[in-house]
This record gives sequence, structure tokens and C-alpha cells, in this order.
Amino acid sequence: MAALESETRQSYLVFACGSSWYAVPAEAAAEVVTFPELTRVPGSPPHLLGVFAHRGEVIPVVDMSLLVGGVSAGSRRAVLVRLSRGTLALTASSVAGVSALMGPLEPLGPSGVHVHLRGPVKSGSRDVAVIDPEGLFDHLSQGG
Amino acid sequence: MPAAGRVEGTLLCHVGPHRIAFEAGEVASIAAPDTGTVSAHRAFQGDGGAQRVLVTSTGETVGVDGLEIDSEVLSVLPPSPLVAGASGGSLRGFVITRGVLWPLLRLEAFQHYLRGLDGVGP
Repeated sequence: MAALESETRQSYLVFACGSSWYAVPAEAAAEVVTFPELTRVPGSPPHLLGVFAHRGEVIPVVDMSLLVGGVSAGSRRAVLVRLSRGTLALTASSVAGVSALMGPLEPLGPSGVHVHLRGPVKSGSRDVAVIDPEGLFDHLSQGG
Repeated sequence: MPAAGRVEGTLLCHVGPHRIAFEAGEVASIAAPDTGTVSAHRAFQGDGGAQRVLVTSTGETVGVDGLEIDSEVLSVLPPSPLVAGASGGSLRGFVITRGVLWPLLRLEAFQHYLRGLDGVGP
């Protein structure tokens, strides 16, 4: 289970999407992939770039930069986040690696996707938003 | 992941650069577009028209740019919960043919979804 505590001592995969840095619990980060041409799903929001088939599963690709900041990162790489309900791919322009992060895990905003981004935490000199993967999955499943 | 069933006979449709598919048994006929045709481009935030029209058994229509018929039996891959609600719940899953993924839609439900985008009742 990839639940977040109020203050983190877990290991996280830290990655950038556009100019922002994010982290997901290392136990939920399955792999980093370069995804092929995507198939767009009719009626899906712009931040849901499309889907691709990977190991017999159809995986949706979410552009975190577009979701959070409204600007696409334009990356063809993604971090696969595997949850019990399914897998999602979060676009990543670069991957810093796995780090133990220290800091509070308060929601970074009162509503929308920011409820599922926690922090602030530091990874070196970087400000990192820790993604609550279960919450993000729920948010996206509801069309967010 | 297990397949969500199979489909035999599929209409593979092109909508601009995008792809959608329907089970052939859901399509009563294929016609030329007319003024009442609702275009599948709307589901991709586009404003394109239609070159071919799929007609449901109740006479409702969905316009696409082009289509081809696949007679193979295809496995239907289930949709992720993240996309299951897209296009008004008309997404049945995905099929792989011609080397690429195609969203497989329920024609009648997709037509209702497109009508809803136009602010027109089903």
C-alpha cells in the first residue's frame, strides 16, 4: 500500500516533469518507460495524453505538467505507478532516482489535484511535491 | 490482465489523426453525411465534419472521416478506471489490430454522448 504518513521517512522515486519536481513512493513506482505513439481516448481531458499497451495492459498516460500547471512537458518518458486498481503513467522529463525524503506531507492546496500533492519536502536543493498515488488515481478517475 | 471479452467483426474508424472502433453488429448501415449528422470529431475537441456515417438500429448517426472493416476475432482489453468514464461511459475497452490500439465504443451510447456535447438531448 502506498499510503502517505503526515511526515515522510519513506523512499521515493524523484522525477521532474517540466520545471517541477515530483516524488512517488518507491514501492509504487514500477518502472520508467519510453512510451510509443499514444492512442487518444475520445472524451478524455487534455492532461490525459492517451493510452498505450504494455505487458498486456492498457495504460493511461498523464502529463503532470499539464495537469498541475496547464503547460505540457512534451516528454515521451514516463514513470509507471502500479496500484491495486491499475497502473498509470506519469510523464517525466528526467528522473533523479530514489531518495529518502524528510519533511511534512501537508496538502499543497485546498482543492483539485493539489490536495493529492503533499509537502513541501526537499531533495537536495530541489523543492519536491510528493504525489499521493491513491488520491491522484481517485481524482483522475473522477475526470479531474 | 484478462480480456474483457471478444469481438468478431469490427468497424475501424478514422477521425482526423485519431482512431475509434465499433462492433460491426451495432451498425445497421453506412451512409453519406447529411445536415443532422453528429461528427465524432467533437469527442476530440475538433470541429471536423464527416465523410462516412454510421447508422444505428434506431436511426441515430455518427460521422467519421473514413473506415475499414476488420473481420478477425479480437480480444477486448478492459479500460483503466482512469478512462472508463470518458465519452459518457461508451468506452467498452480497447482492441489491438493493424499493430495499434483502437478504443472500442458502444455506438448508441457514443452517439448520445456526442449529442450531449452539442447540447442536444439523446
